[in-house]
Amino acid sequence: MPNWNKIQTSSFFESNARERALGLVDEGSFVELVGPIDRFCSPHLITLGEAVEFDDGIVTGVGRIGERPVFVISQEGRFIGGSVGEVSGAKMVGTIDQAIDFYDALIAEFPRLPASQRPIVAISFETGGVRLHEANAGLLAHAEVMDAIQRARHKVPIVSLIGSRIGCFGGMGFVAASTDAIIMSEFGRLGLTGPEVIEQEMGKDEFDSSNRALVYRTTGGRHKYVMGDCNFLVDDTVAAFRAQLTELTELTIEEFEPMRRIGSEALVEKQLRGVALAVEIAPTDSRDVWRYAGNNDPVGLADGPLADFRKTVQRLVL
Amino acid sequence: MDTLLGKGREAVDLIVDPESFAQDKVGATTFGDPTFGPGAVVGEAKLDGELVTVIASDAEAFNEKFPVVYSGIIGMEEGYKMAQAVYATLAADADKRLADKRAIVLIVDTPGNGPGKVEEIFGMNKATGAYQLALAEARLAGHPIVAMVIGRAISGAFLCHGLQADRILSLDAKFQTMIHVMPITSVSRIIKKDIETLEELAKSNPVFAAGPSFFHQLGGVEELVSEIPAMRAAIIKHVDEIRRAKAAGLDVVGPRGRGKLGVERGGRKVRPHVLERLNAEFAAVQARFRPQAN
Repeated sequence: MPNWNKIQTSSFFESNARERALGLVDEGSFVELVGPIDRFCSPHLITLGEAVEFDDGIVTGVGRIGERPVFVISQEGRFIGGSVGEVSGAKMVGTIDQAIDFYDALIAEFPRLPASQRPIVAISFETGGVRLHEANAGLLAHAEVMDAIQRARHKVPIVSLIGSRIGCFGGMGFVAASTDAIIMSEFGRLGLTGPEVIEQEMGKDEFDSSNRALVYRTTGGRHKYVMGDCNFLVDDTVAAFRAQLTELTELTIEEFEPMRRIGSEALVEKQLRGVALAVEIAPTDSRDVWRYAGNNDPVGLADGPLADFRKTVQRLVL
Repeated sequence: MDTLLGKGREAVDLIVDPESFAQDKVGATTFGDPTFGPGAVVGEAKLDGELVTVIASDAEAFNEKFPVVYSGIIGMEEGYKMAQAVYATLAADADKRLADKRAIVLIVDTPGNGPGKVEEIFGMNKATGAYQLALAEARLAGHPIVAMVIGRAISGAFLCHGLQADRILSLDAKFQTMIHVMPITSVSRIIKKDIETLEELAKSNPVFAAGPSFFHQLGGVEELVSEIPAMRAAIIKHVDEIRRAKAAGLDVVGPRGRGKLGVERGGRKVRPHVLERLNAEFAAVQARFRPQAN
């Protein structure tokens, strides 16, 4: 069992899925559900003669922060890019469902249960989306996750944590966008179409995926923070992500509502103001949007220390 | 007619009651600007005399503001416009009884979500997510939603426009319908398995293969429709079945219904065991996570 205190000081970017799951909740509180001991691995990878993992590249379970039950889903990018297939998808859906069912049961019993004791879900994303080895099953699982997220609405808050190597792309990009709050580090990346795919579809003139700086400028944590696409930008340690998540565990579901990006008619109207702005300023680089938001030196701002960035950055107001 | 590929707008007229489609109007909402999200066709129509909302892709439209949007691709404007049509539907029937909530018919022929730099800078993931959340909300609020695949139903675009429906119907593959994440040739290249091996394996395991019949085996498509004129009756039948299921409070429609159907048809056999185990393991420890001081 990894040392909890040691995990806290580790880089979130470098940590594996199990370390993140253990480290995000209180010491010793994490119970893994459908863990490696259950040996649910992908039957489709076996058919293909591929290597399998007994957790199918995802750690699911429940722990606590204070008195609040925290249902944790943590993806492992080292296993086929954190891709989602039949088993990993079912573990994701099942964990959100457990949180909702537990909420319903507790509220039936204790209608006045304070927020600090109600279930919450934390998803640590590290994924390119659908697993191509079992693509059809992965696609169907994605649809079930979105359904589960909608079922959790106004009941169980779902928090996304994005700061791992693979980032959060493909279908999981819109899953993350649909959650109640998003915490990122500057090394986290969030999007729908990955840089390589844009380059392949649209050509190198549209997007040079080998340009790491460009990739980070477009999908990285600092940019997503300017855009309001992530709510919090934290340091790259497990402790920093945990501290932010802990702060959120004090909030009621109603207090999460203003943090959402999508999920209501009013929020769609708001996002459409962003789309109109995209037409108006026709950015060829994210720096153009930073400048529009009131940042006169986007290059200096992007390159400076994170603490200075957080202090001085102007975020886009829609 | 041997295909409806690229003919989403025409498919609407083949399905709804004659002359009943009122484009750009849903409930109290009108979509007056023809340059706004032209790839998304939204409106109201009658289906067997009942008012329905129709959402389709128009493969012939090109969004001049977002050059990645053509051929039925769902871009940022299209995703949000489709979401608006769903919210307008919810608002129009907010006070109606469950049995009277109007159906939503999705005509699916879309090859993808807008893949561009501007899209990523502004967050294409939000547009597709917004539409899915709206559809899931409408479905859970009681609106019967039927998706009819008439052409391409590809990956993220199908997730956005189709997979949140209560029921998914698809024209048979002889009409050139396509349902997949990626063609098997591309899958083969990326996962480094030769095509012959994948095609051989696909015969016994539909999770690798592209095409509506494989999705049908997996429970991902409720019904294959073998003739174009039969689409209308099939949609009417499924709307009726969904209404009955919802009235009875049965959780057998939508993405989870397709999970159960998959098991019946021999697809995604491990999924239910994972869910059962998760349930059982949490039940064994849940007392630890209950309020301590109450």
